[in-house]
Amino acid sequence: MDMYVEVKDLKKSYGEGGSFVQVLKGVTVGVERGEMCVIQGTSGSGKSTLLNCIGGLDDIDSGSCKVDGLEISGLKKDALSDYRRDTLGFIFQFYNLVPNLTVRENIEVCRYLTKDPLDMDELLETLGLKEHADKFPSQLSGGQQQRTAIARALIKNPKLLLCDEPTGALDSKTSKDILILLEKINKKYGTTMLIVTHNNSIKDMVHRVIYIKDGEIGKHYTNENRIPAEELEDL
Amino acid sequence: MQKVLRKRVFRNLRKHFVRYFMLGIMIAMGIFLVVTIVGSGETLSRGTVKLADETNLEDGEFEVFVPLNDSEIEHIKDMGISIEEQFYFDYQMADEDMGTLRIFKVRDNINTIHCISGKLPSDKNDIVIEKRYAQEHDIKLGDSFEIAGENYNISGIGVVSDYDGPFKEISDTSCNSKTFGLVFFTKEAYEDFKASGNAQKSEDYTYAYKLGNDKEDLDLKHYLRDSKIDASLVDDKFFKEYWERTGGVADELKDAIVKLRDATEDVRDGLKELSDNNDDINRSTSKLLDSYLEETSEALNKYGIKVSLTEDNFDKELERIIDENDNGIMRMSLSNTKYQLDNLKEYKDGIRSYTDGVDKLYDGTDDMAYGVQRLDVEVDEALDEFDFGLSNLTSFLKRSDNPRIFATKNDKIVDIEVGIIAGVIIFILLAYVISVFVVHSIEKESSIIGTLYSMGVTRNDLLLHYISLPVAVTFIAGLAGLLIASTGIMAPMIAESSYQYFSIPEFSFSIPNYLFIYSLVCPPLMAVIVNVLVIRTKLNRTALSLIRNEVKQGNNKKIKLGKMDFVKAFRIRQMVREMRSTVAVVLGMFLALLIFMIAVNCYSLCNNIAIDYANDTKFEYMYTLKYPEKEAPKDAEAAYAYTCKKNTMGFNFDVTILGIDDDNRFFDVEPGNSRTDVVVSNAFAEKFGIKKGEEFVVTDDEKEMKYAFLVKDIAQYSAGFYIFMDIDEMRDMMGETGDYYNVLFSDKKLDIEPGRLYSTTSREDVVKGTTVFTDLMMPMIYTLSIASAVIFCVVMYLMMKVMIDRSAQNISLIKVFGYRRKEIRKLYLDGNFYVIAIGALIVLPLSKIIMNSMFPFMISNVTCGLNVYVPKLFFVIVYAVIIVLYLIINKILVKRLDKYTPAEILKNRE
Repeated sequence: MDMYVEVKDLKKSYGEGGSFVQVLKGVTVGVERGEMCVIQGTSGSGKSTLLNCIGGLDDIDSGSCKVDGLEISGLKKDALSDYRRDTLGFIFQFYNLVPNLTVRENIEVCRYLTKDPLDMDELLETLGLKEHADKFPSQLSGGQQQRTAIARALIKNPKLLLCDEPTGALDSKTSKDILILLEKINKKYGTTMLIVTHNNSIKDMVHRVIYIKDGEIGKHYTNENRIPAEELEDL
Repeated sequence: MQKVLRKRVFRNLRKHFVRYFMLGIMIAMGIFLVVTIVGSGETLSRGTVKLADETNLEDGEFEVFVPLNDSEIEHIKDMGISIEEQFYFDYQMADEDMGTLRIFKVRDNINTIHCISGKLPSDKNDIVIEKRYAQEHDIKLGDSFEIAGENYNISGIGVVSDYDGPFKEISDTSCNSKTFGLVFFTKEAYEDFKASGNAQKSEDYTYAYKLGNDKEDLDLKHYLRDSKIDASLVDDKFFKEYWERTGGVADELKDAIVKLRDATEDVRDGLKELSDNNDDINRSTSKLLDSYLEETSEALNKYGIKVSLTEDNFDKELERIIDENDNGIMRMSLSNTKYQLDNLKEYKDGIRSYTDGVDKLYDGTDDMAYGVQRLDVEVDEALDEFDFGLSNLTSFLKRSDNPRIFATKNDKIVDIEVGIIAGVIIFILLAYVISVFVVHSIEKESSIIGTLYSMGVTRNDLLLHYISLPVAVTFIAGLAGLLIASTGIMAPMIAESSYQYFSIPEFSFSIPNYLFIYSLVCPPLMAVIVNVLVIRTKLNRTALSLIRNEVKQGNNKKIKLGKMDFVKAFRIRQMVREMRSTVAVVLGMFLALLIFMIAVNCYSLCNNIAIDYANDTKFEYMYTLKYPEKEAPKDAEAAYAYTCKKNTMGFNFDVTILGIDDDNRFFDVEPGNSRTDVVVSNAFAEKFGIKKGEEFVVTDDEKEMKYAFLVKDIAQYSAGFYIFMDIDEMRDMMGETGDYYNVLFSDKKLDIEPGRLYSTTSREDVVKGTTVFTDLMMPMIYTLSIASAVIFCVVMYLMMKVMIDRSAQNISLIKVFGYRRKEIRKLYLDGNFYVIAIGALIVLPLSKIIMNSMFPFMISNVTCGLNVYVPKLFFVIVYAVIIVLYLIINKILVKRLDKYTPAEILKNRE
């Protein structure tokens, strides 16, 4: 087994005294290279926190978090930057596009970070953004904005793609399009993906499903019979 | 609603404490500076005015040849004008370093002495000494002070309002209290001094006057001008010598005409006597001829020749008788008789001709005597008409024309105007900075505003909420600035140079009422106006639009960057997005530079004056003569100076028409030979904004005339407002004789008796005097320079901070992507470098150009040209300083980038 992401006994808390909350209570989980993995759970269960800890966006209190053998916890700022720069791609629920940059320029924000980016035009073509390349985010629909965010995340050809509710702000049809896209990317580039979602249907299309409940791993299994995204219902 | 929202006000203040603190500091500092500079100026200005009231400052003064007599004094009193003697002696102290003391007696009514310490003299050994002279020579109350061999006790140190600016001569460009001071004797001591004969120069008879009964200065001037005196009454040998050559000539002319008239009358009388005897002479000669004819007739009758000879026929009859007579002896005898009769007839005719001539001569002499009589009358009338009589008035100076009076007040006009303008500039800048803050807050809280809006909160509620913090901050900051300024903490520093130059007592710092309004009302009012305008515009959007925080991409849409390098494109987008802050940075830089340029112009003006005066003053000595000798010394250049007035921007300045020869070696001027086409000094051209080819008019108050000229050239001469023309043309124009002069320029000291002089100006005096201006202006120059640097830094810091804060979300985002601090700085901060670099390149010269055009109005009362040139190197240095300041601020702000962690992106949703 080639574990690409290895999390062991990860604990994370916020606040002090009366406002102290133990969000992750010793999570241990692993994701293989090239896998699409969904993290599910109720609101406040700690799924986004887990994603942020893996992404190096949040410190961990204790435990271990390794990505491609690199221990994330304890990395200094610059090293964390390098880690995110060389390894990760992020997709957020609310796209987080830079409003005063065009689609192409938003994608270039990440292209700039790598010496070996994917081909911009090909990516725009793949994501159906070619005709919108010179538009600003405010001129795009939600789906187009999310596709731009995906393109931005993919341009540097990341090994690990962290997606926080990528379809959370989209309608069913657009959500399906996005998932098809992610699936396509996974197949085409072999990108390992960690997708945090409330959406129950997504679990059917991914290789691995992790349930978090109250800061602990509730259920953790691999999907033997994956359904292509194209065939998903009730998104 | 407001109660709930008010809680947010305090929370916002806490959250953006640094921002509001910096803004508050800037407002407080601005108010502090304005109140200190303007307040200090007003304190001195109003202080001197109050002192003038207390000491009954003159409305003017005049000098006369001889003291006014009782009837003249009475007449002036009847005019409702009060006068008081302010006679003085100038005494050159034995120790040359002690300079000249002007000795007055204590004044009773007008221009009374204000004792700063001690009291007025009560004993004849007591004297009051003028403050600045005492300071310069370390003279203390109670000291013994020797004047002309007499020891006096310093009973008081004081000032008089008519010597607020202690200029020795009113033509002096600067005061020097090391070499000139005033001293006040008791009347008794003054008379003793006068009687002692220790005075080196004659007494100066100056009177101060106060107008009343709606009388004007001119009424008194006309009366005094018309008061003639007998020149012999003037007890000044130089005057007498001069008068004999000039004004005395009229008397000589009149005497000569009287003599001519008398002589003509004598001649006429003599001729009359001759004429009266003419008949007797003619009768006698006729009788003599007739007797001889009768005798001859009788003798011929005896010889039997019947004939009666007459005067008319004797010639023919005797000729006939001679021809008819054969006797040779008879013929000879008759021929002899005829010859004698011819001679007698000729004699008689000659006498007749003589008497006719005498008659004619008499008639002519009579006409001549009548003519001389008429000449006498005409000359009398002409002399009366041309006023060859000696007016007692030698000078008349209205208060407003006296540079010694209100010298401090006039000097402070610049400070006050500069302070107010600097304050306005700061307020404009602050208004813009506040608008940036407000826009930032509203955009950031767009969804909150939209939500509240949709729930029925009115626009006025929101308006009130959003303006409350800026208004409170600006009010408190203004109050703080005012309170700090009211302690007068920096006022002594600002006023120090004035106290070290002008002869005034120290006034306690006070703030005029308008500065209270300026400090407490202007900042919050400005905040209200800016906020209302911005908020109303922003709140014009629909609630939904606000909730969605729809971002207008108006400007961005227009900019097509194509496939430009990413970093460049990003910076341009960022710059366009932050246009308001970018403009604020550039505007801040511009306005800070504008304030700095006030300081620069003040400094360069003073500095250039010092340089230009030194370069342009080619003579070593300039002697202004009261009574010039007939011929100018050979080693000096004679010139004719005449003072007129010219008004600009509400101030009346002395301008000198200077008549010089073409080859005057001290002036690089070719005056030509026209009365109307003249050369003017560059100081004159700059001050009055006159260019080559333009016409201008100057006023002669003395003669109540105006002169119009045309500028044919502008000469480099900065040390005064001069109109150069040919000396002969000028003499002709002014009705002076062909050898008249009243100024001498020389490259060495001339041996001229002091009694002939009004004043002596050395090149050294001129050059030294110019440094005074720099000393006077330095406190303000320092203050404005520091203030502008602080304003520049604070505005740049605040605006760049706003830019970063507005980009917080994006900075977090790109950190998530793996951007390093250096790269983030490159994207978000380094772009500002170009804004600053290019902005400074534009606004640096622009601010200088604009300030150069505003500056003449700010120093409208200052008597000098407007050379505010600065070398190019200065701009290079300032540019470098701007860049260095930017880099320092940039360095500070880079740390701020660390504040935005990648996790921010997870908390905030844009």
